[in-house]
Amino acid sequence: MGSKLPTTLLRRPTLAGAISSTSPPSTNSPRLSSPIIPINQVRHATFVPRHRRPYQFTQLVQLSDGSTYTVRTTSPQALYKSAKDSRNHILWQPSNSSLKNVEVDEAGKLAAFRERYGRAWDADAAPAAGTPEASEAPEKKDEPAAPVTEEVIDPFDSLTDLISGFATQNEKADMSGLSAKEQAKKEKFSKKKK
Amino acid sequence: MASLRGLSRPVRGLPLSQISRQPYCCSIRCASSSQPSAAELKDLEDSGLRAPPLNEDEKKDFRPWKRQVDRKFGLPSGRYSYHPPKFDRGPLHPVQSPPSSDPTARDYVPGPFNLPRLRQTYLSTVASDIMTLTYLHTPPGTPDKEASQRLREWDGSSPYHKNRPLRAPRGSPVLPLRERDINFTNIPEIKEISIASYVPAALQDMDHLLVARTMLLAITGTTPEITKTKADVAQWRIRSGEKAGVKTTIYGNAAYEFLDRCINIVFPRIKDWKGIKASTGDSSGNLAWGFTPENMRLFPEIEVNASVYPPKMLPGCRVFVKTSATSDRQARLLLQAMGVPFHGQVRD
Repeated sequence: MGSKLPTTLLRRPTLAGAISSTSPPSTNSPRLSSPIIPINQVRHATFVPRHRRPYQFTQLVQLSDGSTYTVRTTSPQALYKSAKDSRNHILWQPSNSSLKNVEVDEAGKLAAFRERYGRAWDADAAPAAGTPEASEAPEKKDEPAAPVTEEVIDPFDSLTDLISGFATQNEKADMSGLSAKEQAKKEKFSKKKK
Repeated sequence: MASLRGLSRPVRGLPLSQISRQPYCCSIRCASSSQPSAAELKDLEDSGLRAPPLNEDEKKDFRPWKRQVDRKFGLPSGRYSYHPPKFDRGPLHPVQSPPSSDPTARDYVPGPFNLPRLRQTYLSTVASDIMTLTYLHTPPGTPDKEASQRLREWDGSSPYHKNRPLRAPRGSPVLPLRERDINFTNIPEIKEISIASYVPAALQDMDHLLVARTMLLAITGTTPEITKTKADVAQWRIRSGEKAGVKTTIYGNAAYEFLDRCINIVFPRIKDWKGIKASTGDSSGNLAWGFTPENMRLFPEIEVNASVYPPKMLPGCRVFVKTSATSDRQARLLLQAMGVPFHGQVRD
């Protein structure tokens, strides 16, 4: 009994300890009945907390196509009208051609640029046949997600590119040795003649 | 008082004594009559919305404040109403707290107030679609395929190998989830959505934490808890145990509404957004994505109070959608059906 630590005795006044001890149980009983101070915390009651949550309003959401539905939200607005949402976004409405990115060229500047230099500088120009992106294309078709918005390559366009590129090469050969300003002047002149 | 609710507006304004004195006229119903009379139908169709508008005299008579002033004795105060115990003392204690569904209970949360649109879509369309489209027919009587043993066995070269538990798979001690087939008892659904935001700037200035907390509170409608850094990294100037982030988890209707808001309002307004990276997922059916600080301003709840949030203190956040699917491809199927676009390479 003496070998045991006092803390162990306090924590576990079990019957097994009493039996294993050589002294008769009558001597042990007064110690067991003495008030035992629990060392480990014992929780006899659990606090029931009140939920801390913000006030939530019922909001009417109107999407851009006019459909409405109610949501519970912390926003105090009664009606939320959205200008841009999934009903007028090309990713969710791939068949709606009016949502496609159309280039505005009222002054004809882009057309003039292309006439002179071709379409090779376009940002959304199709990659060449040998690039890795083109080889990945059939794999992309497998995945059901992400409606593909890439434009289909028009063979006619590339043909005009080829011709216009050839034309600029020829003209450049003519205008060698001239400054940019003079080149432009000469070009203007030649156009007027035509 | 419940019977008072059925009465029309002008009648409700009258003192109780007057109402009780009014003759109670009601058509007698005969269950045996074959044709429902007009009076019976009128009773059914009567609603509070059809009540005639008040005339001027009735408006003058309707003075609830006057009734309150004229009342001889006050209403019983809150001291006399029932308050549930603050502490739950176990099932054997004589004082028991009411269940959380009781409006007087301390942990009572009112609701639901609406059926979220996305959940309605899920219940009516998405769930049955997923189940039907992923159906794989096996002829009846086909024996079940025996699942391969993924735990390694001991070779028995030592007598001590006897009764040893099997070894974990090579490489990692964790067994990955096995994909379960989708059937009518096992259709993937949204379980919960966790939103976490790491704010390392809060180590220098605690105000960042307040902004992050307010942001999550606004977009989720729950009080977020504050997270602490785990590691000591000298280069990042962090020490473990410092407050540097917030997180919260939403379940059920709130989760569906948050996802709906992301899909229909926030994602389309992100500039040059192609979709969620298809390689997301933890290979057990939980998908995640992130929002940058600029994207957080697109949430309607933050937009409506945009001036409250200081311009450079708003953090981004990460969103973890936990589904009951057991593989990423099933979880992706669920989210795709709900309208989340994915882009890029799929990784399973």
